[in-house]
Amino acid sequence: MTPAKNLLTYSYYPGCSLHASAKEYDESTRGLFKALGIGLKEVPDWLCCGATPAHNVDELLSLSLCAKNLSLADGVEGDLAVACAACFSRLKVTQHHLADSDAKRKQVEYAIDGKVSFDKPVKHLLEILAKDFGLDKLAATVQKPLSGLKVACYYGCLLTRPPEVPQLDCVEAPTIMERVVGAAGADTVAWSHRLECCGANFTLSRPGVVLKLSGEILASAKAAGADCLMVACPLCHGNLDIRQKEIEEATGNRFGMPVFYMTQLLALAVGVAPGKLGFDSMIVNPLPLLREKNLL
Amino acid sequence: MKHTKMTLSTETMNLGFVRKVEALSGSSVRRCFQCGKCSAGCPMRSFMEHPPNRIVRLLQLGQYERVLAGRSIWYCASCETCTTRCPNKVDLAAIMDALRKLSWDAQGPSKESYVQLANRLFLDNIRTYGRQYEMRLAAVFNVKSGQFLKDLMLGPKLITRGKLKMFHQKNRNLAEIEQIFKRIEELRKKGEAP
Ligand code: SF4
Ligand code: SF4
Repeated sequence: MTPAKNLLTYSYYPGCSLHASAKEYDESTRGLFKALGIGLKEVPDWLCCGATPAHNVDELLSLSLCAKNLSLADGVEGDLAVACAACFSRLKVTQHHLADSDAKRKQVEYAIDGKVSFDKPVKHLLEILAKDFGLDKLAATVQKPLSGLKVACYYGCLLTRPPEVPQLDCVEAPTIMERVVGAAGADTVAWSHRLECCGANFTLSRPGVVLKLSGEILASAKAAGADCLMVACPLCHGNLDIRQKEIEEATGNRFGMPVFYMTQLLALAVGVAPGKLGFDSMIVNPLPLLREKNLL
Repeated sequence: MKHTKMTLSTETMNLGFVRKVEALSGSSVRRCFQCGKCSAGCPMRSFMEHPPNRIVRLLQLGQYERVLAGRSIWYCASCETCTTRCPNKVDLAAIMDALRKLSWDAQGPSKESYVQLANRLFLDNIRTYGRQYEMRLAAVFNVKSGQFLKDLMLGPKLITRGKLKMFHQKNRNLAEIEQIFKRIEELRKKGEAP
């Protein structure tokens, strides 16, 4: 029997940001998974999961949008791989609520005009790398160790919350990001704001809120001696990278802190060509740091 | 309002409102013993006149007008820190969602509820396009909120980096998406959904 080319295969829900402002997250995810021999097949015609706005306005709509996505994902082989922390949280919360409440399930089934399915495991990329693929194997695949790079791993709100839904790691003291990037050779710093909110939902409506919260996150990472931040959420990235200059102007602090998607750093470590990782679309230029650490 | 004396009587306590909040959020407010842990961890505490634990206390006392007055509920970031840390399993984040919905339904938009305007435009985008169309979201929000072009200054920089798309992504199942919205409205009309 010829062995399957990809030992692991997943269906893939990129979410809206990865097709727009976070395209480097999508590109580097595909690059990384290809390099590791993990298959990804995008769910056809997936729709927006509704993120935080949907449940802020209408919980039933939020559940229905996610349920529709879960049923579309059912048509594609493999557990569902999700990159965006917000999409991940919403899809998991939906599975949890629908399994929990007959009343909600009936409403949602009517709304999406079909049976709801909540059996397919929904997995964040971190979980796939740490558990399914394995940290040892990841470490063995590394060609360019990230040694000397001091990384502040930023979880934000939604990767591990809410607590009633079993998510990828301990709610209050997760270590999965540190373990994964540590396997690629990076030094991770201990810092205070790993799980603090960046103010994402106020990006449009109250930029002042974002400047304050994200400013505190950047200051905390800087104080801990980090060279850069690593994130797994396009909204966090938008606030910390795209608005960093604005935050510097508002707070008078100077950060100059590149904000990487986790897959950019990991893909670099396993030997994906840097030109394919979207470094040029980051607002805080990461190239000087990567050169200084001999990673380019 | 903040410092006025509170008289508790059957006339001033609106417990019907509290029951609605509890039904919508699926969380009881009676469990709370005012330890303050929710407020201690709330990143938005400094923007609120009533910190989260006081919102729960006011709900326990049926003081819905105080809860809905002001900006607290509109400055909750939905970060779930409160829910995560509450020793009594009060789902404060879900209570905040319920309060926003009830407030919007009762009083409509206000200057404080800008965030809900952005949220609603976000949902309109899903209904029209199936996915987010970031350019349009920013543009329409700025026009509707009167913050003309304020944030769009970020636009040109992002467009040249290919970060903001000029054209929207297309879903082939738009009719099915529209049907989801319609059916939810229908359920509500029939009183079969909250
Ligand atoms: S953490 Fe829970 S019990 Fe403590 S004050 Fe907040 S809601 Fe009440
Ligand atoms: S969910 Fe809202 S109330 Fe709770 S901690 Fe976060 S910002 Fe504060």
